[in-house]
Amino acid sequence: MTAALELSGLKKSFGKTEIIRGVDLSINQGERHAIIGPNGAGKSTLFNLITGRFPQTAGSVRLNGHDLAGLAPYEINRMGLSRSFQITNIFPRMTVFENVRCSLLWSQGYKYSFWHQVSRSRELTEGAEAILEQINLTSRASLPAGVLSYAEQRALEIGITIAGGANVIMLDEPTAGMSHSETDYIVDLIRKVTENKTLIMVEHDMGVVFGLADRISVLVYGEIIATGAPEDVRGDPKVQEAYLGAAMEAH
Amino acid sequence: MSTAATNTRTAGGTSVRALMPWIIAAIVLLVLPIFLGSRSQLTILSQMGITMVFALAYNMLLGQGGMLSFGHAVYMGLGSFMCLHVMNANFFEYLPLPLLPLIGGMFGLGFALIIGSFSTRSAGTVFAMISLGIGELFAALVLIVTVFFGGEEGISGYRDEGLPVLGIEFISNIEVYYLVAIWLFISTVLMFLFSRTPVGRMANAVRDNPERAQFLGYSARWVRFVSFAVSGFFCGVAGGLSAILFEIATETDLNVAASGAILLITFLGGVAFFWGPIIGAIVFTLLQTVLGLQTHLWELYLGVVFVGVVMFFPFGLSGIIMAHAPAAKMGRLGMLVVPYLTCVLPAIIGVLGIASLVEMIFHVRSGAEGEHDMTLFWIDFSTHDVLPWVVALAVAVIGIGLARRNAPAFKAAWETANHIPEAV
Repeated sequence: MTAALELSGLKKSFGKTEIIRGVDLSINQGERHAIIGPNGAGKSTLFNLITGRFPQTAGSVRLNGHDLAGLAPYEINRMGLSRSFQITNIFPRMTVFENVRCSLLWSQGYKYSFWHQVSRSRELTEGAEAILEQINLTSRASLPAGVLSYAEQRALEIGITIAGGANVIMLDEPTAGMSHSETDYIVDLIRKVTENKTLIMVEHDMGVVFGLADRISVLVYGEIIATGAPEDVRGDPKVQEAYLGAAMEAH
Repeated sequence: MSTAATNTRTAGGTSVRALMPWIIAAIVLLVLPIFLGSRSQLTILSQMGITMVFALAYNMLLGQGGMLSFGHAVYMGLGSFMCLHVMNANFFEYLPLPLLPLIGGMFGLGFALIIGSFSTRSAGTVFAMISLGIGELFAALVLIVTVFFGGEEGISGYRDEGLPVLGIEFISNIEVYYLVAIWLFISTVLMFLFSRTPVGRMANAVRDNPERAQFLGYSARWVRFVSFAVSGFFCGVAGGLSAILFEIATETDLNVAASGAILLITFLGGVAFFWGPIIGAIVFTLLQTVLGLQTHLWELYLGVVFVGVVMFFPFGLSGIIMAHAPAAKMGRLGMLVVPYLTCVLPAIIGVLGIASLVEMIFHVRSGAEGEHDMTLFWIDFSTHDVLPWVVALAVAVIGIGLARRNAPAFKAAWETANHIPEAV
């Protein structure tokens, strides 16, 4: 079976500074994969390379076997890859319902149509309502998204990410800045909505990482120093030296 | 369209309630000439209708798509010029006049497709600067390409040379008024429906957050391009109507000042609501025509109103109206009547007092030599007497003073009226 996502020799430089220094990584279909690493290791840059936000300097990214080189973010999204952002990235002046409905439009085949009325589509309305139900925001549907609480906005962010039905979901620090109870809520949510999908997430909270991930990759200074099951990675002396030891102690 | 958002959640049939505003609007358009039937009133109404089409089309960019254009009069102006050329062409006698705005629309669309193909690459400052450049470019072209634009005199024509429709030759103002009214109604319905289509919804998404829209499968640039093209079409329609009403198009129809005016109108009415620009068009046209006949200073007042609205009511006049919605829903508008009478009314009277002083100063400084008599608010007086100055000053001071004194009470009443009881 082709890997859901395959990175080979991926490099990215900004000027003379090499941020991603040759990443090889293969993520299987249906796997929940976490990328961890110290601040400045290049995790978000890696995400941005995969999703087409930045062009890579060298190497390749393959989604279900298709090379993504030179594709725009919207083209990559249409191939079944969806992402969330570290900083909440929603449509603040639109209602919560509209946020979700807009996320459904492309996958339901509406494209740039100016002859359909969105309110007349039962699939759109019911689809959006089902997502709202899933992310527990039904009661907030008609509020502008910008007035939601932080945790609610993060949930909406995940709702927007999964709404289009992409089978590769990338979440960039989904629990950043959350309290313990909020984190538990989001973790349950992630587990629920990524059922039978491939999940790739960047996360700092080790509890979340070890609770969710099937495999973990450790990124340090633009290179992956270890990849494997959580226990193996935890036990890896290289990882402990570079990063995990300190983080585990703090936890 | 916050109320619409909740309505749209019940998918399917169109309720009578949703259709009510449209039915009322159609009736108003139909019966308005009964009350305002003189030639000049009909011309003002027609001008207002054309401005509404233009402002609504402009708001497709500004309010719904987040694109600030400084050169949008180009598309209306080009539509207008094109229609006048059609009116001067031999085949015009075979063309029913009511179809002329469609030609203007196609021409506006064509130019929007060409210019939008590169200007919609990004929103924000880049888009604004390109639009400004295009505006300047065409304003300059008017004086250079005299074959098409007719130089400083512009292009004129005669609307009654077209093919009569059902015996109507569109000579009288009332016939033109109804032609404008029908096009206004159709255009408004179509623009409203556009805002509810997938690409219309995504225009809002791209306005709010272009990057996120890209990660939903939509090219922000393509969404902007579609909005831009559709907006160009309706600008062209407005241009065609303008050609029919005024029978002339000149440089002033597409220069940067005209583009500035439509920005001002749209912002004054409010960009956040679909119907905001309609309010802006009504107020602007009234200031321009009715107040413009009374005083040379109407643009000064327009400027003051505009700055005031932008500073204190960022959602425009439609925002002020909608601010009353929560109180109205709870049936508490009655609570605001007295505060309005004790605070807002004195404020208005005080402002009129200040305006009187301004008018009198202007009259003394700029009036003809030895001309001391003037008329303000139906009162004749001499500007060289002391009494009028004292009265105007007193009105201004007392009005503003009363408003200031009653402002806290107004604020309190406003808060009580809008207080939402805790949900049970």
